[in-house]
Amino acid sequence: MATLAQQLVNGLVLGALIGLIALGYTMVYGIVQLINFAHGEVFMAGAFGAHFAYLRLLPAGTPWYLALPVMTGAAVAVSVAVAVAMERWAYRPLRGAHKLAPLITALGVSILLQEVVRVFYPGATAPLAFPRAFAGGSLTLGPVLVLWTGVLAVVVAPLLATGLHLYVERSRLGRAMRATAQDPDTARLMGIDPDRVVLATFVIGAVLAGAGAVLYGVHYTQIDTAIGFQNGIFAFTAAVLGGIGSIRGAMLGALCIGLVKSLAGQYAWGGAQYDYVWVFVLLILVLMFRPQGFLGRPEGVRA
Amino acid sequence: MTSTDTGSTTGVRGPVTRARRSARSVLSVRSVRRVPGAVLVLAGALSPWASVVLPGGAYPDLATLHLFDAPHLVTGFRLHLVLLGLAALLPRAARPAGAGVLIIAFVHTAFLAALGAVSFGGPVALAGGALLVWQGRREPAPRWPLPGRAVVWPALAAAFAGLLWLVSATLTAGGQSRATNPHGGAEFLAFLGFAVALLGILSAYGVLAWLSALAERHRTFSVAVLLGCAMLLPLTGAGTGYWMTVASTIGVYAATAIGLNIVVGLAGLLDLGYVAFLGIGAFTAANLAHTVPFPVAALAGAVAAGLLGVVVGAPTLRVRGDYLAIVTLAFGEIFFRAAQNDLGGLTGGANSIPGIPPITLFGQAFDRPVGALPAGFLYYALTVLMVAGAMAVLANLKHSRTGRAWLAISADEDVARAMGVHTGRAKILAFLVGATLAGLAGAVFAHKLGTVGYESFDFSESVTLLAAVILGGMGTVPGAVVGASLLFVLPEKLREFSDYRLMLFGLALILIMRLRPKGLVSS
Amino acid sequence: MLEVEGLAVAYGAIEAVKDVTFTVEEGRIVCLVGTNGAGKTTTLRAVSGLLRPHRGEIRFLGRPIHHLPAHTVLALGIAHCPEGRRLFTGMTVEENLMLGAHLRRDSEIAKDMLRVYELFPVLGERQGQRAGLLSGGEQQMLAIGRAVMARPKLLMFDEPTMGLAPIMIQRILDTIALLRDQGTTVLMVEQNALAALTLADHGHVIDLGRTTLSGPGRELLADPRVRSAYLG
Repeated sequence: MATLAQQLVNGLVLGALIGLIALGYTMVYGIVQLINFAHGEVFMAGAFGAHFAYLRLLPAGTPWYLALPVMTGAAVAVSVAVAVAMERWAYRPLRGAHKLAPLITALGVSILLQEVVRVFYPGATAPLAFPRAFAGGSLTLGPVLVLWTGVLAVVVAPLLATGLHLYVERSRLGRAMRATAQDPDTARLMGIDPDRVVLATFVIGAVLAGAGAVLYGVHYTQIDTAIGFQNGIFAFTAAVLGGIGSIRGAMLGALCIGLVKSLAGQYAWGGAQYDYVWVFVLLILVLMFRPQGFLGRPEGVRA
Repeated sequence: MTSTDTGSTTGVRGPVTRARRSARSVLSVRSVRRVPGAVLVLAGALSPWASVVLPGGAYPDLATLHLFDAPHLVTGFRLHLVLLGLAALLPRAARPAGAGVLIIAFVHTAFLAALGAVSFGGPVALAGGALLVWQGRREPAPRWPLPGRAVVWPALAAAFAGLLWLVSATLTAGGQSRATNPHGGAEFLAFLGFAVALLGILSAYGVLAWLSALAERHRTFSVAVLLGCAMLLPLTGAGTGYWMTVASTIGVYAATAIGLNIVVGLAGLLDLGYVAFLGIGAFTAANLAHTVPFPVAALAGAVAAGLLGVVVGAPTLRVRGDYLAIVTLAFGEIFFRAAQNDLGGLTGGANSIPGIPPITLFGQAFDRPVGALPAGFLYYALTVLMVAGAMAVLANLKHSRTGRAWLAISADEDVARAMGVHTGRAKILAFLVGATLAGLAGAVFAHKLGTVGYESFDFSESVTLLAAVILGGMGTVPGAVVGASLLFVLPEKLREFSDYRLMLFGLALILIMRLRPKGLVSS
Repeated sequence: MLEVEGLAVAYGAIEAVKDVTFTVEEGRIVCLVGTNGAGKTTTLRAVSGLLRPHRGEIRFLGRPIHHLPAHTVLALGIAHCPEGRRLFTGMTVEENLMLGAHLRRDSEIAKDMLRVYELFPVLGERQGQRAGLLSGGEQQMLAIGRAVMARPKLLMFDEPTMGLAPIMIQRILDTIALLRDQGTTVLMVEQNALAALTLADHGHVIDLGRTTLSGPGRELLADPRVRSAYLG
């Protein structure tokens, strides 16, 4: 019983973190119908940006409550820079190209970014230690132990998602995004510049991924160059599971993925060594039998 | 460079007059612009290439760079520079020759600079190459008429012999390993520059197009000669056990890439977990190696992979495009995790499966030398046959009813269905055929290596295979072989850059999609 | 106001518009008529920048615009109410109108929205509803309203009466006439040549991608060639 509760909490935290990445997938896919494979690397780059800020920009011994905002700022800055660069130089020239071209490019961008960080970031060939926030303190709920960083993730992720939801629903740019997602040509007739909308979408996704990267780092206290790819696949699965294009769906899907991974690692056949496998099995089943996801309808970004 | 003669011996008017015109233009005022570039290249080639480090420095072996023996003995890359400098005097050859000079000179200048040596010839040759590229004219290549039978066979035989030389020289360029030759990587890259320039010059004069049209018309003869030439490779400089092993490894990946080309290039189904088929073939054969003879093990590997292909292909009935790519990626990851964790004790997990015996047929173990031929020749011959067979399968399928169905599906699936194509059956068939080829290759792979472990089948291998198909040209028959050869030779040759291998692949994928989405060999 | 000269537009290898020349004068309703596939819609799409002509010139207020991307053309004062209405069906009536005014930063947007609701009271009643739930006629009203919200100088309509009931057709045509009377110049494309030419101040016949006849609407209506080809 205690184990179950503990695994549910672990799954919840993982789900919240994956959800922040999934939002980027779902927004970009909703608008340009591109599986931005490299979005996971935007997350990864953000994590390394935060790590860099912690090691090089901040004096040693900076308390975590001062370090956290600086690290978040650095992570978001790096993530946004990476996302803007990839949109501008890798994807934009391919609009209207052969349908496999953007996907293969995304794959190339993903590999390139992973390798650039692995080769050029000092020490990145092995996992790097990430500072822990809240001095490692935790909340005890009966038999269940929740790190304060986990609580932070579970609180912040839904807040950010809600903020995004409101932004897309209420703001002028959000309206332009929804219009472009539904009918790009007619959106242009309204004076909406599709390039700007797409770029804005990448930027928003990157901001969320950068924030998610810091939350991920302080919770798991270890990062490596593979976190982007792995969690990116999970996040993509979550976005599809929830119904691609849907913000609430992405969070819901991420919650499912988090729970499936942590529960399968505990209870399913094969144990922790096969927890990834169960997520992939779930992914295949979802894509086959409910590609529109839980909340999906076959059209663009909706809240 | 003797294409003018070829034109006049065939005695057909159009190209001859054009050739005469270009012969005259060698002397025209405009053409004089090429001369400074060519002179600079020649001057660069004949000047000394390094000043300080050699020969008493840290790398006495670098004497093989042919640095100080000029002008008496101009060999190696400097000979190539001289040849290209002379070739650049031909009007159409200036641009490709200049590009080759740039590559060669850049590689060696950079290499010497990294050693702290100042190269005198390098900058001069670089300037000459740049001048040639800048001044050279880009014109459509002339078209040559196809000659009668008397010329065809010798022409094709000569072409394939030239190809054999090029392959052998490329393979052996730069030597075996870093240990014996510290600048092997640079020599290899420089040779690639020379090869690119040669092919570029031939292509600028329409010779390549002429030859490929010729080969297309006399296909049976060409295939026979090509196969014969391939079998002659052991008699060239590449005829050592080491190069035979390298070549047969390339063969295994080439066969796998051809299988992938069926799935991606013909049917337009992006598969991101393709290496799993190679893996299942390898593991199946490895498990059966001690109990059954090789042909049975190979068959079992092919069948197992084919079955997995059907399983992976089944979702294509419901899933399309991007989503399908993700499904195949998921299958690939599941396979990798299962192999890593030694599922059912079949893969050895982290210990891999060691001690797989070499293939033995008629009492002859494949890893032993046969007569005067080097060890590894039998594996090489086997993979050549396998690649040839795979190419035949691809070529036949491409022009068959099924191939047309695949093309229709990859263009627009709904339209294909509306035209009466059984899209589901065709898509699963693509996976079945492709996977079977990969499984067969996997069985050879297992026996050849003697050890099979899960690390050989991770995602980056799938990406490399995909890159090979895309680089070579999706859907083309020789494309996958060209692509696989390049992508699997390069890491072998450029070990000093092995850290950058995947990075460069990623960059290459992006650049190819942007600059040349149809690949090097476009149909 | 708008001058189109020697326009040619191709989709890949197919040249849908070969040689179209006409002008639209300020304060008029100008109508392009022709059979299905004559190239009328292609012409409008070229004017609004959705398609790039490979020959010819389009000038608006004396300034060439054929090289401009679509999203900048509206800012010059050309609104395009596309064929099939193309509303943002997942969004509310009000959001669709807001998108029409997307480029405007002035304070009179709310006032203009009220004007649209006055013009089409049914839209006012349904301002919170999804546009996809409106009837065909209401959707056309919304499409017109959305275009008006941009305060264009030139308003282009592509088949505004297609698929509507006769009473609704009259209503839409009356609205277009009203817009002209309020000072908006109108360029419209219609298959329904009789209704269109009756309304239009000036008409141009497009046939197989070329302008073949031009003249005041009523004159064209009387032309035997037009009568036999388009009016039966």
